[in-house]
Amino acid sequence: MDWAQIWEIAVTPDNVPITALLFLAPFYTWYGLRQAFANDRLIAQLEASPEMAKTHHRKVQAWKPGWAREVHTWPYLLRIEFLALLIVTAILMVWSITLDAPLEEPANPNLTMNPAKAPWYFLGLQEMLVYFDPWMAGVVLPTLIIVGLMAIPYIDANPLGAGYYTYRQRKWAIWTFLVGFLGLWVSMVIIGTFIRGPGWMWFWPGVTWDHDRLVFEANRDLPDLVGITSMAGKSIFGGFVSLLYVAGAGWAFHKLITRPGFNRKIYERMNILQYVTMQLLLILMLSLPMKMLAKLVFRIKYVWITPWFNI
Amino acid sequence: MPETPTPEPDPVVSSSLSRALLISALVVFLTLVWGIADETFFMRPWKRYQSRFVDKYTAHLKRLQPAQAQGEEGIHKTATYQKLAQQIEEAKKQAAPQRAAINKELNESIRPRLESLQVKYQEVRSHIAALTYELETAGGEGSKKSIRADIEEVRKERHDLDLVKADGSGGVERQEWDFAEMEREYDRLKQRRAELQTEVIRASAPVSALERQRDAYVKEQMTGLTREQIQGLLNKMDQFPSDIKQIHVRQIDLVDRCESCHLGTREPVELTKASLGEAVFAGHPTRDLLKIHNPERFGCSPCHNGNGVATTSVIKAHGYYKHWLWPLFKQENIEAGCQQCHVREIVTDHAETLNQGRELFRGRGCNGCHRFEGFDREPELLQAARQQMRQIEMERADAEREMARTFQKIDDPKTPLEEADRLKARADQIRVNANRMNERLEQLDVQASNLMREVKKIGPSLKEVRVKLRKEWIPVWIKDPHEFRQTTKMPTFRLSEEEIQAIAAFLWQSGVEGKLADHPMGNAGRGKELFETRGCLACHSVGEGDKLMGGTFAANLSRVGEKTNYQYLVRWVHNPRERTRPYCALEKKDLGPADYAKAGKPFRFDLANAVCPNDGYTLQVQQMTVMPSLRLTGEETRDIAAYLTTLKRPEASYAAAPYLDDPQLKQKGMSLARNYGCAGCHEIAGLEDEGRIGTELTKEGSKPIERLDFALFGHPAKNEGWYNHKGFFERKLKQPDFFDQGKVRTQLERLKMPNFHLAGPEINALTTFLLGSVESQLPETFHYRPEDQRRDIQEGWWIVRKYNCMGCHVLRANQPSVFMTLPRYQDPDWKEQLPPQLVGEGARVDPNWLVRFLANPALSESDTNRNGLRPYLKARMPTFTFSEGEVDKLVRFFMALSSQATPYIQPKLKLEQLSETERTMARQLFTSKGAPCLKCHATGNAAHDARATAPNFLAAKDRLKPGWTYRWMLDPARIAPGTSMPSELFRREGTRWVFNGPVPDSFKGYSKDHADLLVRYMFQFTPEEIRRLGGGVAGN
Amino acid sequence: MNRKTLSSIATLALLLGAFGCGGGSGSSEAVKTDAPAATAVTKVDPATAATITGKVAFAGKAPARNRLIMDAEPDCKALHSAPVLGEEVVVNANGTLANVFVYVKAGLEGKTFEPAQGGIALDQKGCVYRPHVSGARAGQLISITNSDPTTHNIHPMPKVNREWNRSQPPRGANIEQSFPRPEIMIPVKCNVHPWMKSYIGVVDHPFFAVTGEQGTFEIKGLPPGEYTIAAWHEKYPAMEQKVTVAASASQAVEFTFKGD
Repeated sequence: MDWAQIWEIAVTPDNVPITALLFLAPFYTWYGLRQAFANDRLIAQLEASPEMAKTHHRKVQAWKPGWAREVHTWPYLLRIEFLALLIVTAILMVWSITLDAPLEEPANPNLTMNPAKAPWYFLGLQEMLVYFDPWMAGVVLPTLIIVGLMAIPYIDANPLGAGYYTYRQRKWAIWTFLVGFLGLWVSMVIIGTFIRGPGWMWFWPGVTWDHDRLVFEANRDLPDLVGITSMAGKSIFGGFVSLLYVAGAGWAFHKLITRPGFNRKIYERMNILQYVTMQLLLILMLSLPMKMLAKLVFRIKYVWITPWFNI
Repeated sequence: MPETPTPEPDPVVSSSLSRALLISALVVFLTLVWGIADETFFMRPWKRYQSRFVDKYTAHLKRLQPAQAQGEEGIHKTATYQKLAQQIEEAKKQAAPQRAAINKELNESIRPRLESLQVKYQEVRSHIAALTYELETAGGEGSKKSIRADIEEVRKERHDLDLVKADGSGGVERQEWDFAEMEREYDRLKQRRAELQTEVIRASAPVSALERQRDAYVKEQMTGLTREQIQGLLNKMDQFPSDIKQIHVRQIDLVDRCESCHLGTREPVELTKASLGEAVFAGHPTRDLLKIHNPERFGCSPCHNGNGVATTSVIKAHGYYKHWLWPLFKQENIEAGCQQCHVREIVTDHAETLNQGRELFRGRGCNGCHRFEGFDREPELLQAARQQMRQIEMERADAEREMARTFQKIDDPKTPLEEADRLKARADQIRVNANRMNERLEQLDVQASNLMREVKKIGPSLKEVRVKLRKEWIPVWIKDPHEFRQTTKMPTFRLSEEEIQAIAAFLWQSGVEGKLADHPMGNAGRGKELFETRGCLACHSVGEGDKLMGGTFAANLSRVGEKTNYQYLVRWVHNPRERTRPYCALEKKDLGPADYAKAGKPFRFDLANAVCPNDGYTLQVQQMTVMPSLRLTGEETRDIAAYLTTLKRPEASYAAAPYLDDPQLKQKGMSLARNYGCAGCHEIAGLEDEGRIGTELTKEGSKPIERLDFALFGHPAKNEGWYNHKGFFERKLKQPDFFDQGKVRTQLERLKMPNFHLAGPEINALTTFLLGSVESQLPETFHYRPEDQRRDIQEGWWIVRKYNCMGCHVLRANQPSVFMTLPRYQDPDWKEQLPPQLVGEGARVDPNWLVRFLANPALSESDTNRNGLRPYLKARMPTFTFSEGEVDKLVRFFMALSSQATPYIQPKLKLEQLSETERTMARQLFTSKGAPCLKCHATGNAAHDARATAPNFLAAKDRLKPGWTYRWMLDPARIAPGTSMPSELFRREGTRWVFNGPVPDSFKGYSKDHADLLVRYMFQFTPEEIRRLGGGVAGN
Repeated sequence: MNRKTLSSIATLALLLGAFGCGGGSGSSEAVKTDAPAATAVTKVDPATAATITGKVAFAGKAPARNRLIMDAEPDCKALHSAPVLGEEVVVNANGTLANVFVYVKAGLEGKTFEPAQGGIALDQKGCVYRPHVSGARAGQLISITNSDPTTHNIHPMPKVNREWNRSQPPRGANIEQSFPRPEIMIPVKCNVHPWMKSYIGVVDHPFFAVTGEQGTFEIKGLPPGEYTIAAWHEKYPAMEQKVTVAASASQAVEFTFKGD
């Protein structure tokens, strides 16, 4: 266990945000959910007693007689925000005092640094390069991510849960987010920082990053595995497999969303366009972990090989 | 609104955040304070250094003060000072009345009157000036006219003034003047004032002159600083500005802030760790260096490395962190800084470690495998010269052709006349050019043949093995040379048994055939004596361990008897350059008698006939060794050879090695020899044109650390803190296969660098050298590439090192020669037998003579078994068979060292002719009891010279420079410390030097300089003069 | 990298330190003045002062003294009617060895003694240095005379002290020189007359002697204690002996040089 190295990685000024992320992301997820569940309980309570529902005008605490009906933004909200502001300011100042800008030696065109890593917020994309063509990982997927994010308000047919934390009313949205952001984005950033060493090789935490390390990794394409050699064959087979995946994934999502209970309502509210878009985005999103699985576990490089693009 | 009071209050409304707010507000405030403190204090550690420096320096100065003050008091007490002070007083007294008078007039009449006039006058004048300007810039005639009128008016206008009277009474008179009058008076007064002021100065001139004299006197008497100076420094410390002290060199936009903490570096007071208690404040140890490299122009980091800009912490400033590529040189490698600019040199003053490193690199044959710009240039230059020749030959051919064509055209009647004329001119032009090419070719040819002679190898030629070596000895040697000979330069290769056998076999079989003349055995006893006195020990050594005696430049001969045969030794000692067979680089073969026979030529080859019988190509007719010929007689040679054969271990025995004749092994051996780069140091048949097998090291010091192959040691090195060039070099040099450890490799894949068994200091020296060999960040102008005499010095040192002149001679003051260290020469009687010191040789000898001497130290074609100049020396100035190029370089080197003008024109004519009487006087002085000259100096009279211990006077004329001779006679110890020639032969008498001792009566009334007389006498020696001195004519 | 964090931690520590002890960064304030304390002159109490006496014997066959050839210098030759003998090895009639320099080599460390009164003389007479072997205190004046009709040059070849080489005309003014540092031995040569040689032993105390015709020596006024006495001879390897001298006692020491 090479603690010195782990420490070095963790405290590299570049990596400080990521080290923080390691703890903050779970914490706030938990914190948010906690509030969400509290609200859900309240909602349940109100639904149970119409009496209370009449008088109740608050969402956070269960209303008690004798309380004002509204609480004003000023001072009750702003003072909290101001407190937050103070704390953040303090943190930022300490940070800026103790850690200098991580400057390095003058760039040497004959000597690229190894590992050469993207800024932390792009490590996810860089990690994707391992699994997809540059064309896919660098252009198509990022575009889709942005498009998808923009599309969310239009896809989201769920009127509930605006302005307050709730889990029960937004299971679908929350899960999608958790998988997409934490599962795919944050985790990849962390992998890119802590796991990827020289030559972008996979080093488990604590394994010394050795520049001269050699590993044997024969990556094959799926068609080769099943012994298809001709280009045409490959593209047809690959296309078929991909289709299979799309169908499968779509079916699974459909099953998921049409599960009885809350999700079904959303599904019913959606029009066909919204539904298809969502399916498309979800399928694509799922393709990343699938591909990672294929690559890391089964050492499969490409599934679908065509003269124009490889997936 | 329910009236019932609620049991519990509303958490949102009632809960108070004030504590949280207060605390976090405080925290923010604290961070703010911290931020400010960090900015102003912690990130500026130099402030603390500076305050500390001010305290300590002030204290130190205070300590110095009394002593210095005392010293000054002492000076004030001296007679000279008193006298001066008194004179000053008198002068002051004298000047007093005159000055008083002048001052009176100045202060009581002129100045007051001037002042009382000034205001009004200047007012009017400026008014007029303004109007004049308007006049100049005015448009129409009309307006000009009116302005003119105005001006006139102003001029005419009368003003009444209250002027102080001129008589100095101080009274006031009223005047009514117009401008003209005012002006007149004003000018008069000003002029008068000027006169008076000059008079004052004239009056006090003697005083100030004396005062200057006094101050000068104090200054030259005072050691260290005067009271004023110390006070000055103290004041400086009082209002010491605490800020970043920065050197900014614009040309290389270099910013060095080192002196923000290293404050004592350039203080006039000598500061040490002891005196200030902190090393950081110590002054620069070698001020001379700062004189040559003024920090204002060179900064600090160009020499010392480190991050000159950083001021936030010591680590940052010294550049001891991952991302700074030029960390401060450690103390032991500090001279690496010199190398990056003084890259052309092999000897740099003030840089002994670096010099040692370079010498090791050269002497151990590192450049046999690793190219390093400037080292071992001859082969490259030779190639370049030959290329150039081919080039020029082609051009010449073109020129010839063009000329022919042009002539044709000219002769063609159809060509119009003026066209023909033009062509004629052109033709001449070409002709001249073609001829110039011929001259150039000639020069290049000479240069090339010179270079042929200059090319040397560090190791001996292995073509001679068959004639030279004991067969069985070869594999033993190859296995571990160091084991056989502790101090050998030959490194130990890590060879397997098969490899050794193969290489040995290859060498043995590739050796050339030849038979040696057969000499009778000499007398070992006499041989020993000769060996120890003739000069062999200047380069060679005998004895092992603590009994080792002699120089390390060449082989230690303690066991030479075991490896080589007597006959070869005779040949070698007699003339090391003699080859068994000449080598033709064009045919790539060693020519034998057969080749000569084919061409119907006798099998004779030497510098005179060095042409290949087959193709007329210049042959390599000499051994590529630097060992010179000592011009020994056959007998002496045999004696020495006989002695050498006795040098062996009695028990030494060698297993027979039949495999050396196994032809199967030859090919394998050859490829191995090629693989291990044997040809880098040795001349080997079949491998003459081998390239270097190692990486070039010219810029090794700045090679990216990632490019240095730490193999499996990258991480250990980082953890143990030697992941840097220094760490790499040191380990690699100490144990060349260090980085092979743990690697799984085949014999041939392994690191090839052999083990040189370097000692700690040697490793450090080489490391220093390599660390300094960098891709310099500095512009060309900073590199030391002089084109004047200093260039000659640089080049000269290469030859001096190449041939180890320092084995016998002292070339720099305090550089002991090997001879001086030999036990025999510790005896006072043998000190006279030391070879001459060459400090200031350039000023001593006539370059033309030096050329002759270096070419042939015997100064005689017939009688070569002698020293041409100092026959009394047992040690022999050998014949190095220098090439003309080398002789030229050496002579220019010596001339440059003592900054002599070249070419040298003998000042004989400048010397005043001797009158007959003077000649007689000189002769009498020479032969008088008082004068010891002839006791030591040779005269050519055999009987006398047997006891002589100094050169022949007759030689002086051609050899010496009069000026030097004169200085030498007055005080030889100044020129050659420890010389046998005594000082104080002359004593000062007024403006001239007279002989210190009884002089012949003829000198009565002789008013000229005696030393000068003797010099003139010496430079006008004639053989018959010598005869009269009782000498025989010899010398040259 | 972790260096950076360490430094930042250090900064914090410094901050606290600064509040604590006003940021007094430790540095050696005491500055040593390297002026040597003048050691007091050790007085030797005549009451307790001891004496070392002894003789230098010579074992084996006395080598014949070589003859100095002065042909090169008629003026010198003229000064001698009888042949001049070299003084390299002078074995006295009583089988003792002359020209041996005997001195206290160890045992006096840290003591300094009264500077010598007056100087010693080195004469050049008949083209021979007289005496052949002499001893001097460090810094003691050596006045060199030339009583010959010819010019000599005096060329001491010290290793520790400064070397010099001055010529001295006949009847020329005396050369007065001194050697500030102890040194055993300083050979003195005359380059003009190669046979002329003399040796001067320079020590920093008054306890030395040179054997003469009787081959005896005496070192007086020695404070009681334990000493190493050394005997030096031009030709034979030097010898040493440890002796302990009691107060106001007289201790006998004998050296024996082996001839070959």
